[in-house]
Amino acid sequence: MGKYGRGQSHVHLAWRWVSERGLRVATGDATLAYYASLIAMALPDVEDIIAGDDSLLVILRQGARVPPELRSALTEPLADRVRRPNGKRHEIEVEYGGVAGPDLPALAKRAGLSVAAYVDLHAATAYTVAFLGFQPGFPYLRGLPPALQTSRRASPRQRVAPGSVAIGGCYTGIYPAGGPGGWHIIGRTGAALFDPQRDVPALLMPGDQVRFVPA
Amino acid sequence: MIEVLRAGLCDLVMDLGRPGRGTLGVPAGGAADPPALAAANRLVGNDAAAAGLEITLAGPRLLFPLGGVAALTGARFAASRSSGAPVAWNETLVLAVGEVLTLEGVETGCRCWLAVRGGLAVPQVMGSRSTFLPSAFGGQGGRSLRTGDVLHCGAAASEVRLLRAFPPLRGEGGCLRVVAGPQASQFDDAGLTAFFGSPYRVEAASDRRGLRLAGAPASHHRAELTSQGVLAGAVQVPPDAQPIILGWDGPVTGGYPVIAGVIAADVPRLAQLKPGDAIRFVTIEVEAARAQAAVPWTIEELG
Repeated sequence: MGKYGRGQSHVHLAWRWVSERGLRVATGDATLAYYASLIAMALPDVEDIIAGDDSLLVILRQGARVPPELRSALTEPLADRVRRPNGKRHEIEVEYGGVAGPDLPALAKRAGLSVAAYVDLHAATAYTVAFLGFQPGFPYLRGLPPALQTSRRASPRQRVAPGSVAIGGCYTGIYPAGGPGGWHIIGRTGAALFDPQRDVPALLMPGDQVRFVPA
Repeated sequence: MIEVLRAGLCDLVMDLGRPGRGTLGVPAGGAADPPALAAANRLVGNDAAAAGLEITLAGPRLLFPLGGVAALTGARFAASRSSGAPVAWNETLVLAVGEVLTLEGVETGCRCWLAVRGGLAVPQVMGSRSTFLPSAFGGQGGRSLRTGDVLHCGAAASEVRLLRAFPPLRGEGGCLRVVAGPQASQFDDAGLTAFFGSPYRVEAASDRRGLRLAGAPASHHRAELTSQGVLAGAVQVPPDAQPIILGWDGPVTGGYPVIAGVIAADVPRLAQLKPGDAIRFVTIEVEAARAQAAVPWTIEELG
């Protein structure tokens, strides 16, 4: 079950099919670089490209074969120019703790830190948007210091406030909209993470750099 | 123009969706059976991509104060017209001034599509008029229709012709064709045997985000929780070993192992599954799946 397709002898990326339209490519640490490279190709038979933790899902149009250009892009070394994609830099103002961040005291205690030290560490770190998922505009931010990493809540909250800044596993993220959520809430931002009426609806895009600034 | 005299269970404005925005965390969405909506549109002289209504399980009561031209495709619902004329499926319906079209409960299947001449003129959001309920945008204010809503229609592009549509023959019964998934190797033999060899029942907690199934446990080795891209039709298996088929409005990334993916030609068939239905999975190869191109509906003049 689950065939590994190895296109040609010099292929170095493994891929597997999610369906005959969805090609999941193991891109590892180079996921964002491959993402930038493949998006720039704008292949007509590619309907969408979705970044994940360490893979890309390339969604082909129904009935389309793997385009030769895509096959080449996945079998040849990345061009140097796309190795370090240039994302935008953002500073996100956050109100930490209190009603805005109900899980902050317990999280700080579990980490063996004072609340102030926990906040300082969270805000001192430069994060990279690894991918968006879960909700439109929800960024998975990579770079969370190991001391702050923690498993998700045992039972998800029925309702999380929009703009909630959260910790889930090795990621920190921001809930653009209200709704149920299983991450620990440490603060809240007023930044509009997602607005379907904007030209670019998501504030943060894969490859962007983010810093949190205590309000 | 349409006045909603009584809303149905979940009447959603839908067109062919907004593919290509997964990077933003937005799934393609759109009509659950795009060829069926496209056929309804052609019956009323619309472009295939015009917006219509997707109606689920129990339908609305709709007043056409100015009359109109409409068509229904998909599952048959108990239906009537105030004029007493029959409500034919897959045919152009000419509605008189002040006529009321009433849809009650579904007879077999789950969803139907109602196209109206000119298309529903709700604003486009991110390139589409489709409703996306999870984030409440698109369609009629990001929600299902409510009693009292008034829907406006666009300008009609062509003259009225009386047409009949014939759906393509699709696989019968509850057998869905799947391609083995990227994490099938994380499942144990018992799990694979269960998934590919036994029936599953569609659970009540199913919607356009996903179809929850119940049946023999598709057991797997506890997989690491990493999020990977997914698409409609992907079959995820959470730790409880009960599969979930991701739907049209499902998340674009998922953290559970994907045991299989429903082939593109069979994803529209998911539209007609409702709680209590039994389904089975049968695997085919990627090349064979790709050859199952979408068979278009045929349309001919009503003679």
